[in-house]
Amino acid sequence: MPEREWAVGIAEIKTARSPDRLTAYGLGSCVGISLYDRRNKVGGLAHVMLPSSLLHPQISVPGKYADTAIEKLLKALLEEGADLTALEAKLVGGSNMFASIIPQAVPIGMRNVSASRDKLLEKGIPVLAEEVGGSQGRTVFFSLFDGRIEIRKLNQPIQWI
Amino acid sequence: MGEETKPFTDFQIDALKEIGNIGSGNAATALSQMVGRRVDMSVTKVLVLPADAIAGFLGGIDKNVAAVHMPIYGEMLGVALIFFPLERLSELSSMLIGRREEDPSNLSELGQSAIKELGSILTGAYLSALFRFCHLQLIHGVPALAIDMAQAVLDTVLVELEQREEVAIVIETEFLENEKQLTGSFFLLPEADSLKKFFNAFSKALGLPTDA
Repeated sequence: MPEREWAVGIAEIKTARSPDRLTAYGLGSCVGISLYDRRNKVGGLAHVMLPSSLLHPQISVPGKYADTAIEKLLKALLEEGADLTALEAKLVGGSNMFASIIPQAVPIGMRNVSASRDKLLEKGIPVLAEEVGGSQGRTVFFSLFDGRIEIRKLNQPIQWI
Repeated sequence: MGEETKPFTDFQIDALKEIGNIGSGNAATALSQMVGRRVDMSVTKVLVLPADAIAGFLGGIDKNVAAVHMPIYGEMLGVALIFFPLERLSELSSMLIGRREEDPSNLSELGQSAIKELGSILTGAYLSALFRFCHLQLIHGVPALAIDMAQAVLDTVLVELEQREEVAIVIETEFLENEKQLTGSFFLLPEADSLKKFFNAFSKALGLPTDA
């Protein structure tokens, strides 16, 4: 069966199985959070915008916030038959593209990254690899065949984590 | 992708075009002074797009662009973005600084600040045209430049506005210097509450009923 590719837009959460790929185009200060169960070859990707759902308790788009997106992604994966103890995470994105002259204490991109780390720690899911921060946008291709993530940046060699 | 929303009627779009024309006329004067030669500018297109269709408008999800970003303050909050196609950036920068730029994704510091200045001139001119038309007092912050994927620029701006369903007012402008034709697209992305404010002020100026 040929592999299919599923694009995960801003604030979306998607799951897929081997040999398909999950893709997030142009992550700027957003963060792509991948979860992968290597044994069952099933995984998911969330494209989150903001660190915490406590910022807007009245708005209910769980995929927007790192904390609620991880909860929802986890739930969806367990329903797909993933094993919680086998799950491993990777984080990509969280850049600061318009580093302004007046520096922000901690740019939103890195706040998204730390909120994601905190939530994953709380859930006991190890973070295997990260490609975060910096000032460049990233496009990610997450292969559910082997869990590898291909990362593309403008004028940079392709990276894998 | 590429789908146009119509919160604005044709009449209102025409009015936006008029604002664009006044703005680009003023910007052309400022730009001609900056480069010491005559530069003409005209508005080629005005439309209102949902934010998730911007990348499509700019040529696709993996399109690379130069983007000048400026925060908007005053009676309306939001972000102004000016996109220049990357493949013509060397020419644009050369026109501005009068010196050949080779690599568009690795512009000289002077070239970079000239592009930022151009973004700033355009934004200032459009904002003051808006003020004259609908009396919204708006100022812009310091410009920042990113040369990157259009989608990553939008991703970042939507995070800044804390929304994923924004609407952008787009004014596409053409620069003409010595037969050389270059384009830039000006995007005004108001924050959700500000869009309503803008819409009301704009309708009032046109003598149309308002929501408020």
